[in-house]
Amino acid sequence: MHLDDVLTELVEHSGERLLRVAYQLTHDAAAAQDLVQEALLRVYQSVRNRGLAPEDWYAYLRRAVINEYVRTRRLRSSTEIVTDVVPERPAPGCLEDRAADQAELWAALGALSERQRAVLVLRYYEGLADHEIGALLGCRPATVRSLASRGLAVMRPLVAAVSAEEEQT
Amino acid sequence: MSQFEDDISRAMAGHDDEAPRAADLLRALEHASPPRHRPGWYVPFTVAAAVAAVVAGSVWAGGLLGSHKPVRTSGGAIPVQRLLSCPASYAHQAPWVPAKPAGIDGGSRLVPRDTPSSALICAYRGSNTARQQAGWALSGQRSLAGGLASLAGQLTWQPHRPRQPIPCTLMGGPQTNYLIGLAYPGGARIWVAATDEPNECVGASNGEFTSSGVIGPAVSKAFASGRWPGRTPVSCNRSYQDTGRLGQGAAMVPAGSTSVTICAPKARTVTTSYQALVSALNRLPTRPSTHGCSGTPGPSGAYEIFFSYPEGPPVLVSILIGCHPAIGNGDLQATSASSVMPVVRQLLNAR
Repeated sequence: MHLDDVLTELVEHSGERLLRVAYQLTHDAAAAQDLVQEALLRVYQSVRNRGLAPEDWYAYLRRAVINEYVRTRRLRSSTEIVTDVVPERPAPGCLEDRAADQAELWAALGALSERQRAVLVLRYYEGLADHEIGALLGCRPATVRSLASRGLAVMRPLVAAVSAEEEQT
Repeated sequence: MSQFEDDISRAMAGHDDEAPRAADLLRALEHASPPRHRPGWYVPFTVAAAVAAVVAGSVWAGGLLGSHKPVRTSGGAIPVQRLLSCPASYAHQAPWVPAKPAGIDGGSRLVPRDTPSSALICAYRGSNTARQQAGWALSGQRSLAGGLASLAGQLTWQPHRPRQPIPCTLMGGPQTNYLIGLAYPGGARIWVAATDEPNECVGASNGEFTSSGVIGPAVSKAFASGRWPGRTPVSCNRSYQDTGRLGQGAAMVPAGSTSVTICAPKARTVTTSYQALVSALNRLPTRPSTHGCSGTPGPSGAYEIFFSYPEGPPVLVSILIGCHPAIGNGDLQATSASSVMPVVRQLLNAR
């Protein structure tokens, strides 16, 4: 089997999943595709040069996607806070309300730093344990817990503002 | 896991469908992946084919260009240089392209929605005050190493240039004319002309479709870094925004927006429950924009409303209370904002 065939097979078997992870990280379809494409080509080149193939291709590629994301993204500073507050809120507990909450959470994820967002995506989207995330990001589990904790702390006020408003009304 | 963490998990899963598809990735990779290692007679055959491709590419470009003399490039990505080479000079006043789109419908969009397999940028530096605005010599060239999907996402949604003339400032200064050569899987090719100059008023063109979009600054960034830059999120704190989107000549707010940012004394962004605002704007009786308004007696106020999309530039709808006409998106204008302002105020006062 040629390595190109391997690449094709990898995209067919892992591409969709990698693209979803990349989209969770970037919140941008085009940026997600670029991220996965560059990670794939980087891994392809590396594997071709070394002549060694990893046992778990998906885990290896996911690591490349995460590293590429953290490496290439710049911290964006903006004085504007994306509030994403829904102006007309439906009754609590109904389907529309949950959809609105999810939209607020999704927008709040955008306020996190790259490493914080990577940790939360790996933890809550990929379902990895902290020690697995630590191994992937090259840091200790305690650092992962700290990044997650700080990320959640950034998100809570953005969403809590809405809840407080609901209680007032 | 707490309820909050559960909610985060559900919010992430709820956006799964918005991710790009593997088929698009595969198409992009087909022409971006390194060549296969093959032994024996394949090697000289491949080299011969590559040489033939360079010659064929030059003949193709030369035939279409007439007087233009192609320049061989060196270094960087190989595939695009086999297909495209920078003209030695920028033959006419901007925007100009050396050849019409080949194998692509260039009449309906600036570039196709597909991700190109490779991209080459040719730069021609000069000044907008120079007596000669044609014939500028090639000053640099660069193959892009990344960001090609972002490039496609941004360029494919650039707005069609309206028939009405657009008023421009007349600041003098350095001007760089760019040619972006894009090659696609299957051999299709397209050149896009873009200009970076102080007035941001030279349109982009592929020879068949001319856009009023301002892409010159993005091309300058790509030329400097070797990667097409990612999108900059809308912000009320920046004076410059790359706004204007395909379809805004037909509807005040083209379909498909995913969030709205209202810039006023009190700024806010919402991603849901703003459909009433889109409907109110799209119900307005409109006509082609005259790119100006006259003051009227009474209260005044300015609102900038940005509609963002999953890819490509946002649409900016400006509302000027106390001016006639009061609403415009750059291509269309409407006389009165009286039916829209209650909806805007409702969104602004929601918290």
